[in-house]
Amino acid sequence: MIRFADFTKTYAGRPAVDRLTLEIRRGEVVALLGPNGSGKTTTLKAAAGLLKPSSGTVLIGEPGRLSTEPGARAVVSFLPQRVAFPESLTGREVVEFYRRLRRVEPARTEEALRFASLNGAGTQAIATYSGGMMQRLGLAVAILPRAPVLLLDEPTAALDADGLAAFYGLVERRKQDDHTVFFTSHQLGDVERLADRFAVLVNGRLTAVLTGGELADRLAARGVLKLGLDACPAGLLDKVRRLAPQASWVNDQLVVPGPATVRPAVLELVRQAGAGIRGLTAEEGRLDMFYRELVQERP
Amino acid sequence: MTLSRESPLRLCAAQELTIAIRSRWTQIFAATFTVLALAVAGSGYVLSGGSGVQDFARIATSLTQLVVLVIPMMALLVGVTSFSPERGAAELLFSQPVSRATVVAGKLLGLLQALTAAQALGFGAAGLVIFSQSGGDGICGFLLLFAGSVMLTAIFLSISALIAGGDLRRRTRALALAVVVWFTAVVLVDVAALGVASLLRSGPASRVLMVATLVNPVDAVRTGALLGIQGTAAFGAASLALLRFTHGAAGAGAAILASLLLWILVPAALAVWRMTRADI
Repeated sequence: MIRFADFTKTYAGRPAVDRLTLEIRRGEVVALLGPNGSGKTTTLKAAAGLLKPSSGTVLIGEPGRLSTEPGARAVVSFLPQRVAFPESLTGREVVEFYRRLRRVEPARTEEALRFASLNGAGTQAIATYSGGMMQRLGLAVAILPRAPVLLLDEPTAALDADGLAAFYGLVERRKQDDHTVFFTSHQLGDVERLADRFAVLVNGRLTAVLTGGELADRLAARGVLKLGLDACPAGLLDKVRRLAPQASWVNDQLVVPGPATVRPAVLELVRQAGAGIRGLTAEEGRLDMFYRELVQERP
Repeated sequence: MTLSRESPLRLCAAQELTIAIRSRWTQIFAATFTVLALAVAGSGYVLSGGSGVQDFARIATSLTQLVVLVIPMMALLVGVTSFSPERGAAELLFSQPVSRATVVAGKLLGLLQALTAAQALGFGAAGLVIFSQSGGDGICGFLLLFAGSVMLTAIFLSISALIAGGDLRRRTRALALAVVVWFTAVVLVDVAALGVASLLRSGPASRVLMVATLVNPVDAVRTGALLGIQGTAAFGAASLALLRFTHGAAGAGAAILASLLLWILVPAALAVWRMTRADI
């Protein structure tokens, strides 16, 4: 549904996105991660047809059309990072304008306003809205047309707990409808919960693309078992290293990095070696730590 | 189902009209223009020693100066403000499956309607006062000035779209450029043309002034309005040269109209061209 082929965008000679090749299939929910200035917004805006590639192509839909064609934009709905509306209009007027522009049936206005949950402020001027209300109104506009491709740039940045719940529900429903959702976020909780795949951009370059399963494996490999022992019997460390090559003896602790699956075998080795266990801690790999590793490996 | 009748152009124009009518700039302009137009109409009453308001032709002549000063500035300010919206608003609007040309044209139409309505208040109020005191003599010139005022609005809205349309994020720069454009059109071109003409002999000097009249939309509207209001009686050297060159008032009017239409269409087309190539 979305295909970036060697997509490059330069500003003043500096690449904001550098030769990005990425395909997002129908029905997939893909999160685009990366530090500030890594090219996430540029990537999403290119998919929304708001900017032209300096080189390469961005195709939308099936069959693929250049994202800058109005026809391609018919299958796309985009929520900008800092969505804004004319302040003198009301929330209802905004929703109604975009509904008519997208030629969507009138009943969708009420559905969108219910989703926005503006607490009766739908008929008030947008100048009176908070940041969270603006974000929810932006999401409401984005979901109006039931477009098969939903592009969301930091959709949860200003949402409260209710807004988050509504957003999670929305993405799950879109997934059930076989729609494609491509979003950026700094909230790793959203990413872990919603995304089928994760793409990481650093300095405009794609540094990793992982499925949920691959991520789980990577996180599992980043777990650590720490065993406080009376002493480290001769030969124990060598035996443990056959199971977990990174194992070490540090400050009277046997530190065993690796997946949780090796831990029972390590404990059995310790028991067989006759070492007394004074303490035991096990830490699982975390997405934020893994993300930081990826980001620090800047190309 | 009425969906098919709602063209994106009409929707964009209607949306812009609503925003412009609620804009403080437009409201201030409407109020100020109305007060000034009434003041001009009322001044005729004072100048006549309280015996009655002057007729449409005289008031229209006085109003011409007000129109050429105020209308370009207002159209530029309102236009630039509309064509350089907040980034998030522009991104949302331009990500819709509607061509950028349609959005630009819709905005222009909506703004033109709003500012025309604002001017209609001023002209209407002044017109009512004049009509009630002096009758309808010379009303055609007055209506011609209103038409010229609307054309001037369209011209400077087109120019504002060109100034702001390619760079949505730099409203301050666009506003500064708008002030420069206004000063150039309203003051500088006249001063420069007169300066150059003063260095030339009568014939070439008249041609320079005639060209300046046709090239500068402000002068074109002023000359066209005065031609309509007073005929050839009030014409100076430049206008007489224009009349000679165009073989009479009809030709001069046509030349002025062509110049004004070009000033509406060319900047609008360039604005669309810039906008379709711009990264939002």
